[in-house]
Amino acid sequence: MFGMRQRKIADLPVEEPAVAMPTPASDGSAQQTALLQRWMALANMQQRVIETLMSEISQTSAFVETEADALSGRFQRLALSAEQQTARVESLTHLAVGIEVEGETVPIDRIASLLEGTLGDVVEKILMLSKDSMSMVYALNELNTNVVRVDSCMKQLSGINKTTNMLALNARIEAERAGVAGAAFRVVAQEVRELSKATSELSVSMQNELNAVTNGIASGRDTLQRVATIDMSQNILAKDRLEVLLAALMRRSENLNGIVADAVREAGVISADVESMVTGIQFQDRTKQRLEHVVDTLDVINQATNELKTSTAGQVPELAGEIAPDVEWVKALLDRFKLSDMRARFVAQLLDGQSPDMSPDLQPEQLAPSSSGSVELF
Amino acid sequence: MEFRFGNDGVQISGEFTFTDHASFKSMIDRLLLDGSSSVTMDLGQLQFIDSAGLGMLLLARDAFGKADRKLVLRAPSGQVKRMFGLTKFDTLFSVED
Repeated sequence: MFGMRQRKIADLPVEEPAVAMPTPASDGSAQQTALLQRWMALANMQQRVIETLMSEISQTSAFVETEADALSGRFQRLALSAEQQTARVESLTHLAVGIEVEGETVPIDRIASLLEGTLGDVVEKILMLSKDSMSMVYALNELNTNVVRVDSCMKQLSGINKTTNMLALNARIEAERAGVAGAAFRVVAQEVRELSKATSELSVSMQNELNAVTNGIASGRDTLQRVATIDMSQNILAKDRLEVLLAALMRRSENLNGIVADAVREAGVISADVESMVTGIQFQDRTKQRLEHVVDTLDVINQATNELKTSTAGQVPELAGEIAPDVEWVKALLDRFKLSDMRARFVAQLLDGQSPDMSPDLQPEQLAPSSSGSVELF
Repeated sequence: MEFRFGNDGVQISGEFTFTDHASFKSMIDRLLLDGSSSVTMDLGQLQFIDSAGLGMLLLARDAFGKADRKLVLRAPSGQVKRMFGLTKFDTLFSVED
């Protein structure tokens, strides 16, 4: 910026000299004196400008140094935060890969595989259960059919027994009619009757047992029917839903993995950038040294000008005394300034004759761009 | 569930649940009497099957296997197809689209 300003000042239109012209003299000596007066006026003004510029450079350098220190502090805090952020994002990688169970990270795909295997096993067992249940239903149906047949046989047996008992009774009656001759027949008839009675008792007992078996089968069928009619199809379909959920979970895990990997990469880039910025800001010290060289050079030029001015004034007595500056030329120069506070300082020092403040301890807000005006806000 | 016998097997329609076990067994017994080496069960019109129905199909498969014959399931769709897929029926039966 200073270089640009200097170029612009150099481009100022060459106007009339900075001193009032003397009345034209007829001899050459008067002209030379007038010319020297102009040189002296210009030298005065150059000295003031140099001193003001030196002050401006010193203060600006101090301001930049203060701001750079503050900026460096902020960037260092930012670097620390970026580093911590990178560490946090890296820890997310661990979470994205799987779930921690008893100190071991189990990958999502392995969880999915385990669940799929378990669900497959459950479905297989449901199928086996359904098949065995239906097999038992069929077996009990067969058994029930057999029991019905046995029941029918028992009824036939009971009928036969009743007939036998009736025949024995009739045989006893006929034996009584036959008298002594039928004595033997009477004994046989009695035996047959007792046999029939025993058979009848056995038949009743068997019927009771059969009834118990029939009731047991009926009860078993009812129980089995309740089991077999439990529809497990929803449980089987649950496998389908769970597989969809697991697939979605795996997709999310993969996406999360990708995002976290990107975040880790970007966090690393940010950390590196911030570190680089901190390092870059630290080079402000070199800028300060260069500006000190510039100020020093300007000071040397100023001193040289001063010495030349003094020696010239010593040899030409007409040059002694106050030489008025060309105020219009100075105003034209200051009109080129866009920063009002800087312009105010130059006016105070070039036109009002105030001494420039060479202290680098000027408060930053005195140098910082003011909040009013579009130019100051850049 | 309703079924209709055809030239190479039987066509089943409706919903196949536990309550169909008696009629299904009768149907299988009749198909077993047929002498063909392969019997096709067309399930294109079957809308629903429960776990008992799946169990009965497995028993039918065993019965045909004992008779050294093959039971083919054809054209399952909708819920029936999903159930076949989840239970990997295609590894137990010959399933045709």
